[in-house]
Amino acid sequence: MDISGLKEKIKSEISRIANADDAKQVKVSILGRKGIVAEYLDKLKTLDKDQRRDAGKAINEIKSWADGRLGELEKQFGEIERRKREAASRIDITMPGTVPLFGRKHPITITLEEIIRIFSSLGFAVEEGPDIESEHYNFEALNIPSDHPARDMQDTFYINPGIVLRTHTSPVQIRTMEAKLPPVKIIAPGSVYRCDNDISHTPMFHQVEGLMVDKSVRFSDLKGILTIFIHEMFGPDTPLRFRPSYFPFTEPSAEVDIGCVICRGEGCRVCKDTGWLEILGSGMVHPQVFRNVGYDQEEITGFAFGMGVERIAMIKFGIDDIRQFYYNDVRFLAQF
Amino acid sequence: MKIPIEWLNEFVVIDIDIDDLAKRLTMRGLEVEGVERFTPRFTGVVAATITKIAPHPDADSLSVCSVNTGKEDLTIVCGAPNISVNDRVPLAMVGAALDKDFVVGKRAVRGIESYGMLCSEKELGISDDHSGIFILPEEISTGTVIAESPIAYDTVIDISVPPNRGDCLSVFGIAREVASILRQRAKLPIFTLDAASDQKIEDQVGLTIQDTGACPRYILKLIKGISIGQSPFWIRRRITRCGMRPINNIVDVTNYVMLELGQPLHAFDYERLSESRIDVRVAREPSTFTTLDSVDRQLEPGDILICDGSGPVAIAGIMGGENSEITASTTNMALESAYFNPFSIRATARRLGIRSEASLRFEKGIDIDNVGYAADRAMFLMHQLGGGTVINGQREIFEKREPRTIYITYSNINGLLGTHISHEAMTRALRSIELHVMKENENGFTITIPNFRHDISEAADVIEEISRVHGFEHIPDTSPVAVLKPQKLTNKDRSLNIVREYCLGTGFFEIINFSFFSTKDIELFRIPENDERSRYVPIMNPISRDWGVMRTMMMPAILKCIAYNLNRGSKNLRFFEKGKVFFQGKPHDIREETILCFALTGREKEYFWKEKYPDYDYFDIKGIVEGLMEQLGANCEFSPTAEPFLDQRCSADIKIDGVKAGWIGSIRDDILKVYEIEQTIYCAELRFDIILQKGNLTLQYKPIPRFPQATRDFSFFVDDAVPISAVVQKIKDISPLIVSVGIFDMFRKEMRSVSIRVVFQSFEETLTDERVNSLQEKIIEEMTNIDGISLRV
Repeated sequence: MDISGLKEKIKSEISRIANADDAKQVKVSILGRKGIVAEYLDKLKTLDKDQRRDAGKAINEIKSWADGRLGELEKQFGEIERRKREAASRIDITMPGTVPLFGRKHPITITLEEIIRIFSSLGFAVEEGPDIESEHYNFEALNIPSDHPARDMQDTFYINPGIVLRTHTSPVQIRTMEAKLPPVKIIAPGSVYRCDNDISHTPMFHQVEGLMVDKSVRFSDLKGILTIFIHEMFGPDTPLRFRPSYFPFTEPSAEVDIGCVICRGEGCRVCKDTGWLEILGSGMVHPQVFRNVGYDQEEITGFAFGMGVERIAMIKFGIDDIRQFYYNDVRFLAQF
Repeated sequence: MKIPIEWLNEFVVIDIDIDDLAKRLTMRGLEVEGVERFTPRFTGVVAATITKIAPHPDADSLSVCSVNTGKEDLTIVCGAPNISVNDRVPLAMVGAALDKDFVVGKRAVRGIESYGMLCSEKELGISDDHSGIFILPEEISTGTVIAESPIAYDTVIDISVPPNRGDCLSVFGIAREVASILRQRAKLPIFTLDAASDQKIEDQVGLTIQDTGACPRYILKLIKGISIGQSPFWIRRRITRCGMRPINNIVDVTNYVMLELGQPLHAFDYERLSESRIDVRVAREPSTFTTLDSVDRQLEPGDILICDGSGPVAIAGIMGGENSEITASTTNMALESAYFNPFSIRATARRLGIRSEASLRFEKGIDIDNVGYAADRAMFLMHQLGGGTVINGQREIFEKREPRTIYITYSNINGLLGTHISHEAMTRALRSIELHVMKENENGFTITIPNFRHDISEAADVIEEISRVHGFEHIPDTSPVAVLKPQKLTNKDRSLNIVREYCLGTGFFEIINFSFFSTKDIELFRIPENDERSRYVPIMNPISRDWGVMRTMMMPAILKCIAYNLNRGSKNLRFFEKGKVFFQGKPHDIREETILCFALTGREKEYFWKEKYPDYDYFDIKGIVEGLMEQLGANCEFSPTAEPFLDQRCSADIKIDGVKAGWIGSIRDDILKVYEIEQTIYCAELRFDIILQKGNLTLQYKPIPRFPQATRDFSFFVDDAVPISAVVQKIKDISPLIVSVGIFDMFRKEMRSVSIRVVFQSFEETLTDERVNSLQEKIIEEMTNIDGISLRV
């Protein structure tokens, strides 16, 4: 019996295979009940016992080899054809996807949250106060006497004589100090109001006030804390300067400027050619303010600061008209 | 305060670059807001002398002048009336450029060739004066090229003087600070006043002061036979550069000295002072008085009045009267130099609504020790400018005040600043701004405060001066020494964080509106009078009627905001706002409440290629509220609402434990129309404070059941009168094994048919069919027992 002929026959059958269908047919023709292998196994009957065992073994080896080879080819051609089928009915993968709805925070909120995050990480607690405030808390207790220019009707919204819409968040300083003994370390975010409405003023805007009172708080500490804040807020390379200024409730008082973010200090329209942008007001708490809240100004010192949230947001995001914050145009809001 | 550098140079030597000076002034607390440089915009203009003036033969208003430029003689036709022979005038020669696009050419004027034109100050851009030809000052000789002469150049720095630094509202005041910066001493001008010694002022004018608290110093001086006229160029230019207008030599000198020294002055026509006397009085009763601007002013008790023998002639420090003002025919003039109580001046100026350069300085407090010098200075200049005879001496009342002293310790100074400044450096810094050490010991020193520094009254003020002169940039940055305490997050903060995250995750754009609205909004929303939302807090001085009162609702502003966006083509909007509303309780009892507001209009997306998005409806906004309430741990119910501005078909009150926590629904279309909105708005206002009270943010794990669930579906006909929420609750109440009741279908034929899926779950065992079947029977029984519910088979 010519066993080697079997292998040759099978090889030549397999070499015909060009696709998955061929593979199936050839499998039948080789391994099927009437296939080539079966044909040879049939012939075994004609051999004697010893020959039959050797030949049987050899045929079975060839059979299992063919089985393996055919399986491989089936898989291989199956895969090719699956890919072909998929490619033929592929969707246009560049069509727009189903974007889930997602919301936007108002840029004032984004800025406020960032300011609060920085000061919270420095150990400042958040306090709040009412928007409608007494003249006492808004002015007198802050050492702004009744004949001070800031108290003119053209700056302050009056509810009735003695009651105003707070013109700054500074009254929260007084309320906090009246409510607790030092040490005090707070910030107070909130809405404030002034009678103004133009490209750089809105009748309502937002401020964050800060106050730290303890034994031996120094002006240098104020510089240190605000430098950290500005470097966090505007980046570690932001130049800044402290410049003497005047506020009735601080002494000494300092205005803080940062290097103009538009022109990088070269001088432009935004910084009025100075290279600097005013960013916040600050100073050491005026002794009269301590006396007004019953703190012993011989024993403690403190610093306070206040900043306009819109102003910081305008500088950070490059917004040139403050009223944009309050038009609430979705084309504006969608940018944050 | 505008300061011309050439003027400042009279008191200090400016030996640094002006930009550098501006920076250093700014770092001293005198912020320089601008540096204005004046340079000639013209070429080809020379000083020429007029040698002959003849009338133009063919034009009455023109003259034909011969002028000499030092090199040649030219004929110029000119229309100005103020020139005379021998005047030196600026001549724009043929080819001169007076502006970018104005070149002077030779041209014939009514038949006579003119070889150039004579210029006014305005034409040269030197001042606004266009009343005549600019008669050049004496120091400019014939032939001088004007563009190269100093009069064509000037630099003015504009300083924002802090409100407490009245002493810096003068050129000399700024010079004092500049001197400190440049380590010099500011020098006052030296002059000798020529006075007639044969007349005594005591014989000519009387002076009394009723209350030296209101007026602690008053000086009167006299000049007779003065001629009123235009001031010379240099005075007019300085006044103009400082932002004031030249008027005549007498008025100009009073302004000039005020700008120079900070002392406001007032000139009276001496002949018009009845009884030749001045009495400084404090008004005791109301009266009216006509000021020199011809306005009748109401005077009130407390106003300081300058009176003559018959009554007021000026409101002290604010404005003179018509009855005594300087006129063109004035020859004898009385000059007032005085110090008035700053608070009194401020009160009067504020009430009368007059903020003059004079009142501004009196309000902030001037230098009481300088009142006499300023009077002499003005007399000297008036005499120089207008001639006449200065009467010897002065009438004066002066209640002298001792300079204040302040004791301060070195450790106080360095302790507050966080510095190690030496005692010597402190003394030097203070001395440079004329704060002198009177006494010192090893711990500290006593400082004398000059009377011009009204802003220094205690130790902190002195520390500020030291820090300012020392330089803030030389104070180190340090870390505060403090006890560390963790910051507690309140329930309010946590809830607000949840709200913000929820809104972001559910696709809302946060908006912020002003806290004001209009009473018209309350009306349009049909809020009844007895409703809390009609008890608004009005603003006395609102910006406009639209923002006339504090808002009691958020929705009106949101509607305006929606209309704004609809008008700009954005039709699909999801807005969220967190804000305050304000209610007026009893007088002086105002309540502020935090509100969360949601609004939806249009649909999720305008279009999508896969499917069409449905328009928003009531259930979209309801789902938003339900989801939020779940996040905040509050159980809310929805019940029919009586809100007058909502469409009754699809609106509800939101209640938590029976307390109204807000409303939800769609705004009536007749209201929307007024706000110019044509599409349906679904919205909700939630009272955050109530949700906060009722909500529960505690997170607690419950074990996950190990046994399988069983599910049964039911279909009932449910009458419209029976709310589904009641049906769901009823089923839930039947057994603790019922863990979920959901609506999976609803349709309407003759009756409403509702399909309900109920999930059963035990934590102890696998539920048997028998057990579930018996619960199913129970549900059917209980449901069909309710009026209006029947099983659909």
